[in-house]
Order: sequence, then C-alpha cells, then structure tokens
Amino acid sequence: MGDMPILRINALTKTFDDFTALHAIDLNVHDGEFLAIVGPSGCGKTTLIRLMVGMEEPSDGAIWLRDQRIDEVPANKRPTCMVFQSLALFPHRTVGQNIEFPLKLRKVPAAERKARALELLALLRLPEDYYGKRIDQCSGGERQRVALARALAFDPEILFFDEPLSALDYRLRKTLEKELRELHLRTGKTFVYITHSLEEAMVMSDRIAIMRAGRFEQIAPGAEIYARPSSTFVAEFMGEVNLFDVSANAGDLTLSGRAAGQFSGQQGTLMIRPESLRILAPEEAAEVAVSGTVTAEYLLGSRIQYAITTAGDKSVTVEVLRENGIDGGPGTPVRIGCGASACHLIAEA
Amino acid sequence: MRGRERRLGLLYSLPVSAFLALSFLAPILLVAAFSVMPPKVFSLANMPDFSAYGEFLTQGYWRSVAWSLGMALAATLILFVLCWPLAFAMAKVFRGFTLVLTIGVVMTLFVSENIRLFGWVLTLMKGGLIEGYIRHWTGVGYDGLLYNVPIIIFGLVYVYLPFMLFPLAQGISMVPDDARQAAYDLGATRWQILREIELPLASPGIVVGSLLCFVLSAGAIAESKLLGGQAVIVIADEVETAFTYGQNWPLGAALAMVLIAIVGGIAIWGIAKADLDAMIGRRR
Amino acid sequence: MKTGKFAHAALVFYGILVLAFLYLPLVSVGFASVSKARYLSFPIRKYSTDWYGKAVESDTVRDLLFLSLKVAGIVTLLAMVMGFFGALAFARYQWRYRKLFQKLILLPIFFPQTVLGLALLMWFNAIGVIPSWKTAVVAHLVWIAPIATLVIAIRAYSFDPALEEAARDMGANTWETLREVTIPLLMPGVVSAGLFAFLLSWGNFPLSLFTTGADSTLPEWLYAKMVSGYSPLVPTVGMLSVAASAVLLALGLTAPWLLRSLRKMRS
Repeated sequence: MGDMPILRINALTKTFDDFTALHAIDLNVHDGEFLAIVGPSGCGKTTLIRLMVGMEEPSDGAIWLRDQRIDEVPANKRPTCMVFQSLALFPHRTVGQNIEFPLKLRKVPAAERKARALELLALLRLPEDYYGKRIDQCSGGERQRVALARALAFDPEILFFDEPLSALDYRLRKTLEKELRELHLRTGKTFVYITHSLEEAMVMSDRIAIMRAGRFEQIAPGAEIYARPSSTFVAEFMGEVNLFDVSANAGDLTLSGRAAGQFSGQQGTLMIRPESLRILAPEEAAEVAVSGTVTAEYLLGSRIQYAITTAGDKSVTVEVLRENGIDGGPGTPVRIGCGASACHLIAEA
Repeated sequence: MRGRERRLGLLYSLPVSAFLALSFLAPILLVAAFSVMPPKVFSLANMPDFSAYGEFLTQGYWRSVAWSLGMALAATLILFVLCWPLAFAMAKVFRGFTLVLTIGVVMTLFVSENIRLFGWVLTLMKGGLIEGYIRHWTGVGYDGLLYNVPIIIFGLVYVYLPFMLFPLAQGISMVPDDARQAAYDLGATRWQILREIELPLASPGIVVGSLLCFVLSAGAIAESKLLGGQAVIVIADEVETAFTYGQNWPLGAALAMVLIAIVGGIAIWGIAKADLDAMIGRRR
Repeated sequence: MKTGKFAHAALVFYGILVLAFLYLPLVSVGFASVSKARYLSFPIRKYSTDWYGKAVESDTVRDLLFLSLKVAGIVTLLAMVMGFFGALAFARYQWRYRKLFQKLILLPIFFPQTVLGLALLMWFNAIGVIPSWKTAVVAHLVWIAPIATLVIAIRAYSFDPALEEAARDMGANTWETLREVTIPLLMPGVVSAGLFAFLLSWGNFPLSLFTTGADSTLPEWLYAKMVSGYSPLVPTVGMLSVAASAVLLALGLTAPWLLRSLRKMRS
C-alpha cells in the first residue's frame, strides 16, 4: 500500500431535488487495498459509487484520482470501471466478445484481444471453450466471472463493485467471496466494494467504511469495527449485540473489580456480544454479571442461543456452545456474565 | 393443468382463426387461383394459362412495382432516421411527455388517412395554407409542391410515422440501462454505445417497425393518388384499375399476387424472426 | 451518460415539432371548413359556419353517418369478443400451435389493405354474396380483429396464471373462472381494444372502398368527392368526422375516471 491515497474524496455532496443523499463526505482509498463500503439500503452507498465511477455528477465537493481531479470527467474517460449489480453483460455478445469489449474500443488488434481474453478466462478459472458461449448459456457464478474478466480487461486503476453477489444463493456467494479476495491479492488492484452485508465485507476486505444516511459512521479494518464499534448503529449493524446504558447504572448490570473501575460513572453504552457472555455457576464471580430468567432458547447447530429477561424487563441474548448450555428450559432463573475485556464502551453523544 | 391449457388455447383461438381462415386466407387463395386464368374471365371454370403473368412482364407493370418498392424503401429509411431520436427519448428520457406524445400520435391514426392527406393537399397546394400566406405576406408565391415523387414519399412518411415510432420505442425500451452504462463505463463514446449496444439490442423493434412501414408503404395507394397526382402509378393503383375499369380479374389477381408475394414474403420472414412474446409481453 | 438539460429540451422541442407535423393538415382542413368561399384559397377572407349547417341538414350526410356508425358499432362488438379469446390463446395459454397462431394474427396487419379489399370483393362474388355494409363489416374485421387481439394480449401477458389456478383450486369451473377472474382482469384491455376497433373502423377507407357495394361510408364518400373536384362540404364533413372521433376518444379516456367518481357518489 502506497502512502498517497489513490482516490481522495473531499466534502462530496449529492442532492436530488429536496433529498440529500450524501452530506459532504470525505474518504481516502489507499492504493491496492480492498475497501468495502457497507450500509443499509438507502444509506447513499449506491449514489457514492455512481459518483466515483462518473455515472452521476456531484452537487458539491471533489474527487481526486492520484493528483488529477476527476469529478467532472465523464465515466467513459475515467480509468476506473465497475462491476454492476446486474452485471450488465451484453446479451447479444458472446463471452469472448464481452471480455474483449473494452479492448475493441481501444482498437486493440483482434489476435491480441483474443489472447488477452483467454488469459482472463484462465485467471478466472473458466474453461477456454467458454470464449464462444452465449451469455444465456452461462450459470450465475460463471456470469460473475465473465463480468469480472471484462472489468479486468479494461485494466482499471480502481475496480468498483456494486453488490454483484447479492442475487446469488448463499453457498455460491460464499465461494465467490473467497475467490474475489484471492483475485484481489493476485492482481494487486484497488477494489472498492459496495454491499449491505457486513458479513460479506468482513470476509473480503482490508478496510470497511460503514455508511448511514449519507455519512460515514466508521472507517476501520474489520477486526476493529467488530471489537470497537464507534456507535450503537455500527454495533447493531453487525448482528445481535447486547447494549446497556451504563450512565443510568440500571440494577440489571452488576459491575465489580476491573469493570467497576473502567465503566462505573461513565457516560455511554456498554456493548457485550452474545458469544462473549457465559452462564455463571451459582456464587461464581464475574466482573460483569446479569441475573434474569430464560424466556426462549434457539438451537444454532453447534451453538445454542438463549433469550434472557432481566428483573428490569430487559432482554439479553447469550450464545454458548451446546455443552455449556443450561439444564432446564424457559422459566429457569439464571446468572450470566463476562470479563471487563469482553465489553466495549461506546461513548456517544 | 398443462392439458387444460392446451385445450383452452386451441378452443379460444378458434373464433378469430376460423374467421381469418374464411375471410383472409381463402380470399388470398382465390386471388392466387384467378391469377393463372386466361384474360378477362369471371369464373374459375377455365383452363389456366398464366397469361396474366406474361402481361405483367411485357406490359411494363414491373415499373409500377419498382416505383412502389423504391418509394417504400425511401420512406422507411427516412422514417427510421426521423423516429429514432424521438423513440429513444420516449423510451429513455421523457416521463410524462411520453404519454402526451403517445396519445397525440395514436389519435391521428383514428382520422381517416384520406382526410389527413387531403389536409396536406390544402396545405401545400398553390393557394393553400403555406403558399397562400407566403404570397399574402411577401407578395411572392410558388407553383405549389404537389404532384411529384418526393411528395408521395413525404405522404408515406407522414401516414406511416406511428408504425415506425412505436415499435422503435418498444425496441429501445428493451435495451437495459445497465448495458448502456456499462459500455459507457468501459470507455465507449456516445456513438460507440449506439452502434455496439443500442442498435443491436433494439433490433427486434427496428425490424418490426421497418417491416411494417415498408410493407404498408409498398401497398399504399392514397398517397400517390391524392398527393402525387399522376406523377407515378403505384402497383396497388394498377391492381385497382385492372379490377375496376379494366374488368380484367386475372390480370388484377396476378398483379396482386406479385405484390402479395413480395410483401408477404418479407412480412413472414420478419414475423418469423421476431420474438413476439418478448416484444409484446416484455418477457426476456 | 445522462441527458443534459439542453439535450432534453431539444428532444421535447423535437417531439412537439413531430406532433405539429402530424396535426398541421388537420389545421388546414379546419380552416377550409369555415371558409365562406365556394373555391378555397388561403388566406381565407370570409369566415362562416354555413357549410356546417348545410352538412348537418343534408340527408346524404346523415345516412353516411348512420351507416358508418352501424358498421363501426358491429365491428367493435365482434372484435372485442374475438380479440378477448384470441388474446388468451395468443399470450396466456401454452398450446401446440401457439407460435403459428401468433403469426396468423399478425399477417393481416402487415397486408396491403387495398389488395385485401379487392381480394374480399372477388371472394364475396365467388361465394355469391352481394356486397353491402355487411360485407364491409367482415372486411374491417379482417384487419381490426387481429389488432384488438394484440391490444388485449398486451394485458394478458401481465396476467398472473396463479390467479386462475387459485380460482380453480377453490372449486371454480372453466366458466366461473372466466367470469370471476379472467374477464374482470382483462376488462381494461378489452375496453381499449373496443375503442381502437371503433375508431379504426370509423376512419377506415381502403377496405370500405371495395366492399360496401352500393352502400357508402363517410371516408369513402369524402374520397369520392376529393378526387372528383373540390367541394366545400369535404372539409366540413371531414372535420365533423374528426370531431366525432375526438369526442369518443375523450369519453373513452375519461370513462374509468367517470365510473370511479360515479361509484364514489353512490357510496
């Protein structure tokens, strides 16, 4: 990764009539990284990617590619390209013609074009005879690879992805996520990937930018976002979490030892992941402890999840390995807890 | 369920297909039969002698065919160029205005074409709307624009514009926006997008629109009679003359068969190529 | 890639230009119809509506109007029935000869109408039918029934087969399914097909020309007058015919809205 960002976004704003999709956002994309931009639908991530590739014009702000300002350069003159959500493969062209399309536009000789297309087919592990196949003869996964090959044939400075895997079934998606990660490492290109699935982003990317309502909530490596979310929005976006208001110091939460030192009297929300909690034996001490009654249990394969309602009528989720489960079903009184290091304090205004 | 669909499909198709068999296919067969009869007979109880087709070749009737086809081709090409930008805008750019245009254009179809052509006569003739006012304001007039070949082509373009516009717009709406944007993103210019993406993907609409215009223009008669005067005689006019003034049914039938063979051949070829389900039902 | 403001405005302007091009001749006819002069020449010096009075009083015009209405009315009814069933066979059901049927439906639309009219004239003669307004109905239907089928087919394509299956699943027989599900859902298509059928029959000239025998429809009469020299009644009757189409079309387009407000008033 170079020191200078390959792409710099500066106070980028986009408004549609009376709706503001992006509120003066800043973002640096590092050279060679795999950046995922994650957010719920309507958060502005699609608008952002369309601005970055040049399908939309910004209302305000600037986009720099290395030291060239590109926000007014039309999409067909930018050295970047995108893999569309629909893939946008040309149905009237064969696999080979699709891959060669950007080369044909640059007037690359036919023989050279074909050689490059075959190379790319091999890179994406598609058999050579797919060169002459029609697009409608390809399966969903194969089409993904053709779309990728076409984008790589363009040889972009940055390759953008607009949720290309969202239409696939779960297993194929998992396979392609790993392939994409591997492709990133092999090609060394900069990838910017839009998705609504944080799970997908975690598997593939070096850094994740979480978007909400036209702004970035947090930009950090996946591990950091997982462990230290900057807001309750990010914490909840990642899946089930237990959030406790520490300032109110509700009777539900018993803090002792290190936890008491760290969190007592603080302002904010304490995040504890369901899998960090464990069932406490009677009289067992824990730095953070909660008492309540089991209200429901759900089997998750090797793990088991409990919904526990506290005396203060707060619902807490606990996830443990099957062998560490509770004897007795709903209605059983129970104590749960964890160490201070498993907790994260979100100091939010 | 499948068996039921098969039975119902056949059953429901019967009213219209039986009607067309009796009053479309049968009359055409009759024309075909008459076309091989000897001259000026009014019954099929004669020995076929194919003399009418000989007359077609020797009496210069092929010239009328050539005029009809040539003018139809010219009108079709002009219509394609004229309608493409508007059809594109209707399919991809306009929102509410597309409906206004659609209603506005469809409404003209409901006015008898001879009233509309008569309106052009009133507009273009010497002392008509245009010449009359130009003379009134400038004092200089001209001899009127009617009674020549270009004005017949103009009439064809005018009458058959909706038959090019709507199929084209339908065809263009079948071009996915993503495909156009992807080509743009991959570096294609506006012109390259037109050639590489839009024209090929809109081709079903282009084929249907061009065929309709060509076929209808080739068989047209009112444009040449009302606007063209006697500048050229089109084939449909010859057919009519042979049947009515000439009282020579076999000749009229043979001339009609030539037109039917050319036009029907092109129409059948085109219809066979078009995927009707995708065109009309927008299923892909 | 997006169409700029200037290009958008240019396209709108072009659209308006095309509409103006389509309607200009009708403007001329309209002016001509209110000219007092017996021999038309622009600019018009004296305006008068006398010719309208004459046209309305004329027995010939009344007879023509009545005959054209009768033909168009019957064509409309028959085209709606044939088109309804034809559209289901065209778009909805998968059956063996469907592709062939689709082509048969399209062929008459592509066919030169003058030739079709003449072929029908020979055919009626051969089977011993004397041409009259009734044969004109048949001739119009050859062209209009396929168009009605296509118009209804557009709606039938978007028809969810599961709706019919659900009705059958709940015990409806073929007729009940048709009455309760299929007909109501296709009704908007049938109504617009009827509107098309009426207006196309009302304005049709090439088919009527050879198939009406001694009877005559409005467009036919107009054509005869046009080619035999100018008559001030031609633009007047022409405008009346256009006005009749416009009124019917306006009614047809606003009918759904009128029905809805009527129903609202009742409830």
